[in-house]
Amino acid sequence: MVLRRYIPILIVGFFGSFTLFGWFINNETVEAFINDDATQWYDIIASFAIFLGALNLLKLQFLKVLKRQSGWQYSVVAIVSFFAVFIIGFFMRGAFIVDIPATDVQETYFTQKSAEEAIVQLKDSGVDATITPAPWGAHIQTEGGLFKWMFDNVFTPLSATMFALLAFYVASASYRAFRARNFEATLLLLAGIIIMIGRVPAGGLISSWMIMYMLVLVLGIIVNTYFRHRQIVFGVVALGLLGVTLLGSSMGWPVDQPSVFYLPDLQEWIYSVPNLAGARAIMIGIGLGIIVTSLRYIFGLEKSYIGDQ
Amino acid sequence: MRTLENIILKLGSVDRRVIFVLIGLAVLVPLLRPVDLAIRPGEDSQKVYDTIEAMPENSNILISFDYGPSTRPEIHPMTLGVMRHLLSQDRGHKIYITCLWPDGLYMAKDALETINEEYDLVKNEDYVLLGFRPGNEAIVKGLESDLRKVFTVDAEQTPIDDIPMMEGINSLNDFQFIFTGSAGYPGTFEWVQYGGDPTGVTLSSGTTSIQVNEVMPYVKNEQLKGILAGMPGAAEYEALIGIRGIATNGMAAQSYGHIVIVLFIILGNLAYFITQRRERKY
Repeated sequence: MVLRRYIPILIVGFFGSFTLFGWFINNETVEAFINDDATQWYDIIASFAIFLGALNLLKLQFLKVLKRQSGWQYSVVAIVSFFAVFIIGFFMRGAFIVDIPATDVQETYFTQKSAEEAIVQLKDSGVDATITPAPWGAHIQTEGGLFKWMFDNVFTPLSATMFALLAFYVASASYRAFRARNFEATLLLLAGIIIMIGRVPAGGLISSWMIMYMLVLVLGIIVNTYFRHRQIVFGVVALGLLGVTLLGSSMGWPVDQPSVFYLPDLQEWIYSVPNLAGARAIMIGIGLGIIVTSLRYIFGLEKSYIGDQ
Repeated sequence: MRTLENIILKLGSVDRRVIFVLIGLAVLVPLLRPVDLAIRPGEDSQKVYDTIEAMPENSNILISFDYGPSTRPEIHPMTLGVMRHLLSQDRGHKIYITCLWPDGLYMAKDALETINEEYDLVKNEDYVLLGFRPGNEAIVKGLESDLRKVFTVDAEQTPIDDIPMMEGINSLNDFQFIFTGSAGYPGTFEWVQYGGDPTGVTLSSGTTSIQVNEVMPYVKNEQLKGILAGMPGAAEYEALIGIRGIATNGMAAQSYGHIVIVLFIILGNLAYFITQRRERKY
């Protein structure tokens, strides 16, 4: 009980408060601990966490295969891929550089055997060459090496494909879910459309006058919804169109004026004003949450890390 | 009128595979047949540009590659643009490269390869590739207090002490400018909180479009000197430095892709309103 509960809580409480209050103590040793030692400890723990993460991943995938859960075939692919990359990264150098002295010519081979064969071929044609194995550590980033080849030809296309699929899902999802069901949803919808069009160069081609004409028509729809009187609607739309036309003629129809109706400026305003306010509120909320959670850890109230609920 | 409504209703319930095909075409066609669209640099991209322009000669610049292959199309043109800008000035700037993401190392090597074709850089004289270290924000914190405890060797296992360019470089305070190409965690937030703010070193960032709204408070508060926001931000930067790159070429594809999405949203809403009205009526 003492070992499993109280000692971990004491360690967390001590180091948590020491790191926190250390910021206010003008002492070289304390500062050195906070600035250097503590972060180095974190680096070491983070490195071990990679192994823990890998083991956990394997455990989950193996269990899925053993229990024949749905999609277990994908787990087999995950396990095989894991071990393939692990073996190639840790136990196979995969990069043997054939170097022709006095020239800039270098060729990298996956195996020592293929590099030696290349040397023999070069010797037959009267060229002397040497083999230099890529140093361990640097072998994973050697151009032409096996690991780098896997990264460029397997991992990169797969990652890019996964991310690129987002465009299709975003299109399909927004088509189905982005509905002007109420005032808030309409506001979100309009902001989304303005950002999507205003962010890209095509948005800069849409004149603010065109937006004003469209707004006049939207105003007509709103007036029609409330008054249901043809003459009033016609009057509002006609006056609106005439007003926009007169204003445009007097200003010379500049594409980006009045800027309040120009999509790139409008999206900039959305980013800088309403979005900024929301983002700041979220940030402050997160900051307060972090403070409270940290204090809970320091005072031993938060015990989820030792398995308590 | 009813026929038009029926057409809209049909379009409003189109199969998702049709949307996929249209989006694919909208993106693919402009990539195969590039279209020139005028790019208007925004205020935040301009600020990044002005900050780099204002750097004193022989500045030490730290560039952090905090992204991987998935976000490469968005972020890579930014880091390339910033590197091109720094080197095109020919003002003796030195570039130091770190990575908070493991695959960032490969992105950095790729960027260096591209840049080397244009500027013929010499390793450890014009740039140092420090590489990746695990630890996320702790790495930034460590760099802030003592860089030499975090990096004892560079990415190719050369001891830091043997690299002449590393002389006098002991912490983030020895840099004049930091740029992070960031696709998430760890990235811009960590550089602001543990790097830029404590040291006062000028910091700018290039992020994915999706991150921009979260990072905006730092930009408006001047904790970040400008931001390159997604691929449009990268294209704006290319326009500012006068080098047409992959971001500029991708702008037409992104524009058309966005237009198709917006058109489908409008169609979906029209169909929704017509259905609602008919349901109320009957």
